[in-house]
Amino acid sequence: MSGITISGLDKVYDSGTENVVAVEDLSVEINHGEFLVLVGPSGCGKSTTLRCLAGLEDVTNGSIRFGDGDVTDLRASERDVAMVFQNYALYPHMTVRGNIGFGLKLSTKMTGDKIEQKVENVAEMLGISELLNEKPKSLSGGQQQRVALGRAIVREPSVFLMDEPLSNLDAKLRSDMRTELQELQADLDVTTVYVTHDQTEAMAMGDRIAVMDDGVLQQVGAPEDVYRSPVNQFVADFIGSPSINLFTADVDGATLRGPGEFTYELVDPEPVAGHDRVSVGVRPEDITVVEAGQNTADVTVVEPMGNENFLYMEMAGHELTARVAPAVRPTEGTHVPFDFDEAALYLFDAETGDALKTKTDTVDSAIVGTTED
Amino acid sequence: MREQRRKDAVWQFLTYAFVVTMVVVMMVPLYWMLVAATLPQEQFLQFPPRLIPGTAFLDNFAALQDRLDFVRTIRNSVLIAVIYTLLSLVLCSMAGFAFAKYEFKFKEPIFYTILATLVLPIQLLVIPLFLLMAQLDWTNTFRAIILPWAANPIGIFLMRQNMKSIPDALLESARMDGATEFQIFYRIALPTMRSSLAALAIILFLFQWDLFLYPLVILESADMYTIPIGLAQLTGFQRIYYDQIMVAATLAIVPMVVLFLVLQKQFVSGILAGSLKE
Repeated sequence: MSGITISGLDKVYDSGTENVVAVEDLSVEINHGEFLVLVGPSGCGKSTTLRCLAGLEDVTNGSIRFGDGDVTDLRASERDVAMVFQNYALYPHMTVRGNIGFGLKLSTKMTGDKIEQKVENVAEMLGISELLNEKPKSLSGGQQQRVALGRAIVREPSVFLMDEPLSNLDAKLRSDMRTELQELQADLDVTTVYVTHDQTEAMAMGDRIAVMDDGVLQQVGAPEDVYRSPVNQFVADFIGSPSINLFTADVDGATLRGPGEFTYELVDPEPVAGHDRVSVGVRPEDITVVEAGQNTADVTVVEPMGNENFLYMEMAGHELTARVAPAVRPTEGTHVPFDFDEAALYLFDAETGDALKTKTDTVDSAIVGTTED
Repeated sequence: MREQRRKDAVWQFLTYAFVVTMVVVMMVPLYWMLVAATLPQEQFLQFPPRLIPGTAFLDNFAALQDRLDFVRTIRNSVLIAVIYTLLSLVLCSMAGFAFAKYEFKFKEPIFYTILATLVLPIQLLVIPLFLLMAQLDWTNTFRAIILPWAANPIGIFLMRQNMKSIPDALLESARMDGATEFQIFYRIALPTMRSSLAALAIILFLFQWDLFLYPLVILESADMYTIPIGLAQLTGFQRIYYDQIMVAATLAIVPMVVLFLVLQKQFVSGILAGSLKE
């Protein structure tokens, strides 16, 4: 049982003529039993990082420690890690029993009976006991996914690595498995690194999430912190669904101007002091449609979701998305005034993208669950 | 709609007609071989030819056995072909796996060099190989027939192409499960390649079974002869023993048919199905 310490990890692929930097100077500390989600767009280096942790890729620079032990130069089989692959990678010629027991058979000195016992325990835990004698091809996607999990769990590794394990499941099954996986991880209390490109999944599952872009770690933090206080425009844009509304505005004292007729009076102009232009960010849920106001936008599409409506609007060529109550449904093609709180406003440096101001509104914490003892 | 259906029917008819014609064209010589093996020599040569099987098969076989000890010849051929096939399957699949799944220095040049040897005809290789075998003092031995062809370039190429289709994740998964590289090869890669191995086994077996010029040069004594060489002995200077040739040829295809029937059930497609979720 151990945490993970990654320090100064570089991974450079030598593709003959040029070097491709997949991961650059990544350092992060993952606590024992923590569920860390690595998230980012495709090609951001998250899978490469995971593969380095697994021992499937050599590390160019830096070190990886599991607990107190340096595993940087150890082979995958010597690291006491288990990995769940995106496409499950089940051995097609073995039964479910064979698939789950394969690792134990190869890497431990356990007797056949003992292995059998463990395989059956794991199968029962995952609810696939009746499938033990089936071959992978006769299983459904969800069942294959459970077998892949079982194969990882049965070895009782000190670290779990998961590479987009839910991305091949349909939406309903995915959210079920999401919960199940979290419960399982909490029960087993094994340090887990989980890679996904789906920010919703990252938000929902991670104790902390690590956002990566272009091989560089952008931010590590609890989901809510990353959502509310992104360090830069990329993180703000990547986390949250629908995405944050972003547009650039000129700074005129305490007033933000543009695009089009847009103006916004800042009560506290401190964050924009010394900037001529800034990027303005507003989360869709923070935009409210008002009776009358300074700023207006054209409604292009209204998507009723049942419990809420998504309004897609246009303001001087910039698309805006608003998440509003189901009662708010302006006619498509009309002009609506909108507003938002300064406390909900994000401001970023227009050049570097660094955050100047993030959400300062308070989160309603009136209802807190009680723990039963 | 009806027009389309009629067109489909015509096409189907033409397809069947073509297939039937091809089957007949291929079966006629085979049928004639079987019939001729049961006829005495004089009936074989009569015109119009007799197309109904006769009763002289055992007589013909006895004459053949008397002249050549054909049972031993078949045994030689089977022994050589079986050992060769097994050995070559091991070597070709290992080489194919390495070329398909590992990175090493000069991988491409080595592979293309192996492929390039395909253009060398056996006739060209016979003399140098004979000289080599003579120096090793291996003439008139089975190992001289088996070993030079054991690393078969077609086999290596075929296995490399097929092994490329094994998903890397499958091998990595085994690696994480603690399998050594050799365990990955024989416990994961080989079992998923069963149908390719079966196909390759037939190619290799057939190659060795039909080999004529090279064994003719290497094998000196009659007790070492393989079937193709045995058959050649039946073409004498004064007469050609057609009846015995036909018996021998008929018997020579039996092991091939058996091999094919045994391996047939391996040709089930989709061995890899269900391993990866696409």
